Amino acid sequence: MMLAKRADGFGLGAIAVASVCLVALGAGWFDGPLNALVVLVLVSVVLGVALIAAVGGPEARRLLAPYGLMKPGLLWMALFFLAPVWSLVRISLSTKESRFSVQYDFTWAFENYTRAFSDFGGQFQRAFLYSAIATVLTIAIGYPVAYVIAFRGGRFKNILLGLVVIPFFTSYLIRTIAWSTILADQGPIVSVLRTFGLVGVFEFLQIMENGKLLNTPAAVIGGLTYNFLPFMLLPIYVSLEKIDPNLVNAAMDLYSSPTEAFRKVVFPLSMPGVFAGTLLTFIPAAGDFVNAQFLGNPNTTMIGNSIQDQFLRQNNYPVASAMSTVLMVGITALVLIYTRFFGTEELA
Amino acid sequence: MKKRNNINQQRAGLSRREFLIRSGALGVAGVSLPALLAACGGGSSGGGNSLFFDNWPLYIDPSEDGAVGTVERFNAASGVEMTYTEAYNDNDEYFAKIQPLLGAGQRIEPDLIAPTFWMAGRLISLGWVDKLPLGQMSNLGNLEDNYVKPPWDPTGEFSLPWQAGTAGIAYNIDVTGREIKSTADLFDPAFKGKIGMLTEMRDTMGLILMSQGVDIATISSFDQAAASFDLLAKAKADGQIRAFTGNDYIDDLVSGNYAACVGWSGDVLQLGKDSPNIRFVVPEEGGTLWADVMVMPKGTENVDAVAKWLDFVYDPVEAAQITAYVQYFSPVKGVREEVAKIDPELAENPLVFPDTATASRLKSWANLSEDVDAQFADAFSGITGA
Amino acid sequence: MNSLRSRIARTGLNVFAGIGLVYLFMPIFFIVLFSFNKPKGNFNIVWQEFTFDNWLSPFSQPSLTSALWTSLQISAVATVISTIFGSMIALALSRRSFKGSGVINLLLVLPLTTPEIVLGSSLATLFLGQTFVSFGFVTIVIAHVMFQVSFVALTVRARIRGFDWTLENAAADLGATPWRTFRLVTFPLVLPGVLAAALLAFALSIDDFIITFFNSGTTVTFPLQIYGAARVRIPPQINVLASLVLFASVALLVIGTVRGQRVQAARASGRKRPK
Repeated sequence: MMLAKRADGFGLGAIAVASVCLVALGAGWFDGPLNALVVLVLVSVVLGVALIAAVGGPEARRLLAPYGLMKPGLLWMALFFLAPVWSLVRISLSTKESRFSVQYDFTWAFENYTRAFSDFGGQFQRAFLYSAIATVLTIAIGYPVAYVIAFRGGRFKNILLGLVVIPFFTSYLIRTIAWSTILADQGPIVSVLRTFGLVGVFEFLQIMENGKLLNTPAAVIGGLTYNFLPFMLLPIYVSLEKIDPNLVNAAMDLYSSPTEAFRKVVFPLSMPGVFAGTLLTFIPAAGDFVNAQFLGNPNTTMIGNSIQDQFLRQNNYPVASAMSTVLMVGITALVLIYTRFFGTEELA
Repeated sequence: MKKRNNINQQRAGLSRREFLIRSGALGVAGVSLPALLAACGGGSSGGGNSLFFDNWPLYIDPSEDGAVGTVERFNAASGVEMTYTEAYNDNDEYFAKIQPLLGAGQRIEPDLIAPTFWMAGRLISLGWVDKLPLGQMSNLGNLEDNYVKPPWDPTGEFSLPWQAGTAGIAYNIDVTGREIKSTADLFDPAFKGKIGMLTEMRDTMGLILMSQGVDIATISSFDQAAASFDLLAKAKADGQIRAFTGNDYIDDLVSGNYAACVGWSGDVLQLGKDSPNIRFVVPEEGGTLWADVMVMPKGTENVDAVAKWLDFVYDPVEAAQITAYVQYFSPVKGVREEVAKIDPELAENPLVFPDTATASRLKSWANLSEDVDAQFADAFSGITGA
Repeated sequence: MNSLRSRIARTGLNVFAGIGLVYLFMPIFFIVLFSFNKPKGNFNIVWQEFTFDNWLSPFSQPSLTSALWTSLQISAVATVISTIFGSMIALALSRRSFKGSGVINLLLVLPLTTPEIVLGSSLATLFLGQTFVSFGFVTIVIAHVMFQVSFVALTVRARIRGFDWTLENAAADLGATPWRTFRLVTFPLVLPGVLAAALLAFALSIDDFIITFFNSGTTVTFPLQIYGAARVRIPPQINVLASLVLFASVALLVIGTVRGQRVQAARASGRKRPK
């Protein structure tokens, strides 16, 4: 009976132990015979829970059910999300046996981190700066559009929302390459600017360099803004859509000015959307390398480009892993700080 | 006949329920998930009379406009079933993909790949390629003399050139407004932000080194190249260089984003008469001479088919078809005469069949030792900004 | 005065939203336009002349077509696995709170708050060090399932939150076996949410580039093929296939909207009937 009442504890414990076992196996904590022991623990934990479910009666089964349901998914994530993070950190502190070796020796090689900062500091800065600017721009563009659809869409709401999403059904890469055509030196935008003599203005605003728009920081930020816009727009729309129009009407009656009604009622209520959108935009943008590659120049590369290059071209897995780890830690820290100041209960 | 029909009917009559039960039984029988997934992915055809060649894109004459491409002609002539793919996009990227497999002693799917000479040299010294079946070839004598036992393959047993060519300067005269003659022009402030460089270190640095008076055929230490790297680093910091690219430079050149860039001869020639404003020049200071060579990754099983293929493309009649399309240097003797029969004008083009004046300006790279190569690669990737 | 000003503000906002939509569609317009281009040379970048040829031969590029086929296979397999795993997690999370649900929620959100490049490169370091699977089809599926599970679990959970699970108890009380209860009560209830999540997961998988890039080995998916092509040759067939996907999704959207309105109308009339 005791066993049955504690079944949920066993269920959770079993998942935790099994996850640790899988991380240990995946990340290679132990060698040879010890791995067999880990497998043994893994199997016995799974069998143990099955045994409890069998002998514990309906109460135990009811308590164990959620753990049983979650097991496959969570174990998959333990093996292919948690274990990789472990091996990433491990390789970031390792040295290669030789230049083209696939074997690594774990040597607490902190010089990988020194190199990540000294050689790629600029790329880190640009990654965070560009994605921060892009995030602000997605709010500036996404919020009004979401607002109009949510409050003035009427019966066209769904169609308008569909129109917003449809462009993103084409491949991410094709969209980005299309922008490189649009922004090219002989492309439509630069031609129009040239016709109206606005090139000087844009150069003054540092949007253009040397009469070109493509391969500038502005093009990279513009690409990031475009590609991540739906991740900002949709959460904002969802939170705006939940707002009862009567609430706005009541506020209008009380405050009289629409601006004030917006500031005091609508905007605060839409904050969860802005919050979620910020995370969903900033995080992937900071790790992106596609926009910088197709729309940037050698002085606008972001940390994603460096990780990609060190990992997939230079075979320098330790330094690439160190950069990945720094990016991960940096973003987690930013998210924690951000959540503390602006956070709502839920992320997604 | 009747009986067989019956069986077919039974097969077709396999109900959904039965199917589910059978698939379930498969699962119970312990077919692991990865094995199932692998089965879905479809493995290689393995052994026998097949051949898998993974080459650079746009590097062979295709079957189009009534002409039969080299792959189809080979299949018909030899009875070999050849899979020809164009997934070899970049030496470093391809190496990173095959390294975990070849490094662990496993084989990769392609029977034949075409790395650039220096990458072939690396694969040879790592012992990751097998000796070519040269003994089974009857056309081996057609190999041009200057590719016999080359620096990257001192015994000449592991590689045969696919095509060769030169890196020089490609430019769009509509944008430059003048003819370009020398590598120094790439650093002309008038072209600020309109200059392209290749991510292929040996071609970009080759031109710059030669313009600085360094002989790339004998270079052996990083110190000799330090000043040239500084020159490139400064140009990049100044915003002179718009981008470091692979083959896509040609698109920036045609669309006018580039005034001039380091480029490859065949690419510009392939544009042909449609783009008279795009020109190619071997700079006064010299251009690089390179070769992409065929090697067999370790563990290749279809050795006989490889031999048939090598023999086929070293026949000057067949090789001329490839040359007429890709317009790079052919490593096969007698191709010029055959090309003259197809396209007399092309046979006289010094950028396809270099005359002595052009040839004297072309230099090929020394085989860098592994440490020096690592220094060069590090310095270059530091500049490309990635 | 006030109303005039607010009307101007209103119109201004609508115009801004309109410009926003135009901005969203600008590259799409070019992609579709250039699917009708007859490019000179290898790059479909500069407009030359109008042609229907590319649309008449959308599958004339064998490497492109086979990459698309590989992508469809990978996404299908990955979506099935992740939809099952993710929905099970969502079902577990949505019913009652239990020990450890906070930690599990955090674990589910983590992949979404980790940049793709970290997910991709860390998974690659895991595969590098072992000999069980080599980079290719299997590793891509594993990677896709890994990030899809979170999306599926969170989407399904959001959709089925607040359902009346006492129905299940009622079915059990009436003597239904757990399997029968699931089949007749639970499954129909969660199905719309599961399908929506599966669609999202499929869309994420088929367009994934960064994570796939790190774990693909020599397998070429559609995005990888485009990436490779972008450096050598951009045939107009890429635009044709992209436009096809686009038009198909527009069609789905229209059908979905029309059907949704019909269902709503039917429901409304159904509600009226008892009166």
